[in-house]
Amino acid sequence: MERFVDLAVSAILLAGLYATMAYGLGLIYGVLRVVNLAHGGVIMAGAYLGWVLHGSLGIDPYLSIPLVVLLSFGLGMAMYRVLVRHLPRGAAGGPASLLLLFGVWLVLRNVAYLLFTGNDQAIRTSYSTRSLLVLGTHVSVNRLAVLVIALVTPALLQLLLRHSHVGRAIRAVAQNADSCTLVGVDVERIYTLTFGIGTALAGLAGLLSATIFSFNPGFGSGELLKSFVVVVLGGLGSVLGTGVAALVLAVVEVFAILVLPSYLTSAVGFVMLVLVLVFRPGGLFGHRVLG
Amino acid sequence: MSLLETRALSKHFGGLRAVDAVDLALHPGEILGVIGPNGAGKTTLFSLMAGSLPPSDGEVLLEGQRISGQPAHRLVRRGVVRTHQIVRPFPNLSVLENVTVAALHAGGRAEGPPRERAREVLEFVGLGDRTHAVPGALTLAGRKRLELARALATAPRVLLLDEVVAGVNPAEAMTLAALIRAIRDRRHVAVIMIEHVMPAVMSLSDRVVVLDHGKKIAEGTPAEVVKHPQVIEAYLGKGHAGAQA
Amino acid sequence: MSLRWPEIVPPRAALAFAAGVVALAVAPWVLGLSPYSHNLVTLAFLMVSGALAWNWMGGFVGQVSFGHAAMFGLGGFVAARVLLAAPELPAPLAWIAGGLVAGLFALGAHPTLRLRGPYFSIATIGVGEAARLVFTYWEDFTGGSSGLSLPIDSDMKYRLYWWGLGLMALVAAASFLIRRSTLGLQLLAIKADVDAAADVGVSATFYQDLVFCLSGAVVGVSGGLWASYFSFIEPNDMFGFDRSIGFVLMTVIGGVGTVFGPVLGAIVFVLLRQFLLASYPQLYLGLYGLLLIFIILFEPLGLTGLLLRLSRPLRRWADRPAAAPSP
Ligand SMILES: Nc1ncnc2c1ncn2[C@@H]1O[C@H](COP(=O)(O)OP(=O)(O)OP(=O)(O)O)[C@@H](O)[C@H]1O
Ligand SMILES: [Mg+2]
Repeated sequence: MERFVDLAVSAILLAGLYATMAYGLGLIYGVLRVVNLAHGGVIMAGAYLGWVLHGSLGIDPYLSIPLVVLLSFGLGMAMYRVLVRHLPRGAAGGPASLLLLFGVWLVLRNVAYLLFTGNDQAIRTSYSTRSLLVLGTHVSVNRLAVLVIALVTPALLQLLLRHSHVGRAIRAVAQNADSCTLVGVDVERIYTLTFGIGTALAGLAGLLSATIFSFNPGFGSGELLKSFVVVVLGGLGSVLGTGVAALVLAVVEVFAILVLPSYLTSAVGFVMLVLVLVFRPGGLFGHRVLG
Repeated sequence: MSLLETRALSKHFGGLRAVDAVDLALHPGEILGVIGPNGAGKTTLFSLMAGSLPPSDGEVLLEGQRISGQPAHRLVRRGVVRTHQIVRPFPNLSVLENVTVAALHAGGRAEGPPRERAREVLEFVGLGDRTHAVPGALTLAGRKRLELARALATAPRVLLLDEVVAGVNPAEAMTLAALIRAIRDRRHVAVIMIEHVMPAVMSLSDRVVVLDHGKKIAEGTPAEVVKHPQVIEAYLGKGHAGAQA
Repeated sequence: MSLRWPEIVPPRAALAFAAGVVALAVAPWVLGLSPYSHNLVTLAFLMVSGALAWNWMGGFVGQVSFGHAAMFGLGGFVAARVLLAAPELPAPLAWIAGGLVAGLFALGAHPTLRLRGPYFSIATIGVGEAARLVFTYWEDFTGGSSGLSLPIDSDMKYRLYWWGLGLMALVAAASFLIRRSTLGLQLLAIKADVDAAADVGVSATFYQDLVFCLSGAVVGVSGGLWASYFSFIEPNDMFGFDRSIGFVLMTVIGGVGTVFGPVLGAIVFVLLRQFLLASYPQLYLGLYGLLLIFIILFEPLGLTGLLLRLSRPLRRWADRPAAAPSP
């Protein structure tokens, strides 16, 4: 029972992280039709950012959230303004944007490697080992905090998209960019903001992950793929869909530990990815991706 | 027996009945016009007949054999081919290559090397001197001819033309209309054409079918259909009815 | 059927190609290549073959695969296993076996191939990484993380130069023929607009299957030659993501969708890699990343595009009227 609760908590926690990352990836794809292959790189960058702020300046990882989010937001906007914006639209845009952002990811990885070497790192705080009693089991304070933040973020984002002026503009552009241009929405500005927000979510997810898992410059590739699974399964732009899909993935992953030999558990995410793409490419909503 | 037939053909997008239980029949050697206001479901009807979309209900028969449910590329080989309302040439291929790709899939109905057949079809539609141009260098009328040539190169038995005449200047429209007639008379292809340009559809069609909100609301010779009260109300509108009176 | 010169092959191109192959075949004797250069060129042949085959999918059909290492690794390990089980068998048979299994594996991945665009690309990352993990832990087949060793045969390594050249010549010729044939036309049509292609009778699923199978088989064969070349292979390297990236980088650097591009790209890639690994190992991936960014933004046809651009003024200069006024 203890183990079960433990695993359940892990699953929910993971789901929160996955949902945060996936929401960012899905937002960018939904609005710009670009799969941000650099997403994993930004997740990794967020982790290192938190690590540096904590290690060198002694800023608590939770206090550094605003800074990390802001910096990732800026990074995302810069990526759009400097790079993605110049891609040809239409058929050639697909592979070109994939390759371009893949290049960005390689660069980010290399920069991290140069700055921090390839060693595994982790953020350790004074309360890293402290825990609370929940449902009769000990759950670390840190994990609970991450969980709360990962649950609150998508909700806040949903509020932003539904009720703010910018949010409504973003949703309108996702529906039909051409007619938005006609009614005077600055589509380029919306694209820039969207890329920034999506990337900021990746940075946040990276920072939160760093308080729980160890990471190195290669960190983020698995996270990118899992985000993609969640996006495909959950449908675009639906917070509820994203949450449910993230939970499905996390539960399958966590409980696979019980039934599979340990060396195969890391393949679960990839296998899920392929299965989802092949059998459920429409996600829960029937969005067509097959040629 | 009719060449192509639809029976209670329907397509639903969520709650929207884009095509709603449409029955129609195309006879050999015929030009059948399909008219209807914007959003009536004409293009969707073509997508169902050409295999681009699976129907929600009903069926499509070619010479009495059921063809619905088969993908578009297979129907091309059986002789049913469509053109697109918004032309879709392959921009990275030359005009001749565009048509050659199609000529590869005549399903045994034509003889000779594909490239030669493609040349012949391009002559026929009047693009014989533009074979090496890229589609982007053609005028809109030119690209419409290319779209026609590509469909013709598959040696179709049934040709589904989606607004070929629309959007070009009146002189071009006349020649395109003449071309469609020549397709029927000289190449012996039965044609279903969607058209908004009334003079073209009225002069070319042997029969006309009228769609509105996905439903067939009238059918008959052009002269009969124009007088049909429901048609006047649904499609031609008050202005047109007034002009006739 | 009568034998006649195929229309799509210009005789001059065929002659130039044959001359090039012969020149490369005699180069080791004529130039007296050092063992180091001899081996480097052999590696380049293998990489060129792989890049050309990747380009069939990525350049002609327009589907970017990030998972070709799966077929490369599979080809390598099957060939190695065959050679270990039956040492008396001629090595080329083992390589072909590797290619066949890799091609079948690609066909087996069929359902993912119906995906298009980014969905396909991401699915190939999944297939590739799953393959790496599974084969790393399938010790009976791959030897796990300690890998497989083949009996070292330095004579074989020397002769691999010509086998590699043969493979490369074959794949290059095939690329040229595909590009010029009606098959190539249909692939380009699929790349431009799948739905419009279907509407004129082209079955995208069929051709994607066919091309992925062929491409996988060729990459599998080059994996087999690779195994013979190094006499030691290890799944984390053979199936590694870096290897998949390598195919992408070589082709994109050289000029995706062209016949000449992957050749050029692979050569530059091998040389650059050798140099970078020796001098700046820590900059190696990042520089490729920068290169990728620059190419996508400024010269989508890569080095081939650059050469075309440079050759235009040059040709204009060469063709200048004789009576041009001198400044
Ligand atoms: N893929 C789709 N998904 C959802 N709705 C669709 C889809 N395709 C068409 N529709 C809807 O079905 C209805 C019929 O569309 P269709 O394009 O067939 O009309 P049409 O008669 O060809 O109009 P037009 O004269 O403007 O070309 C429209 O309301 C359209 O919005
Ligand atoms: Mg229409």
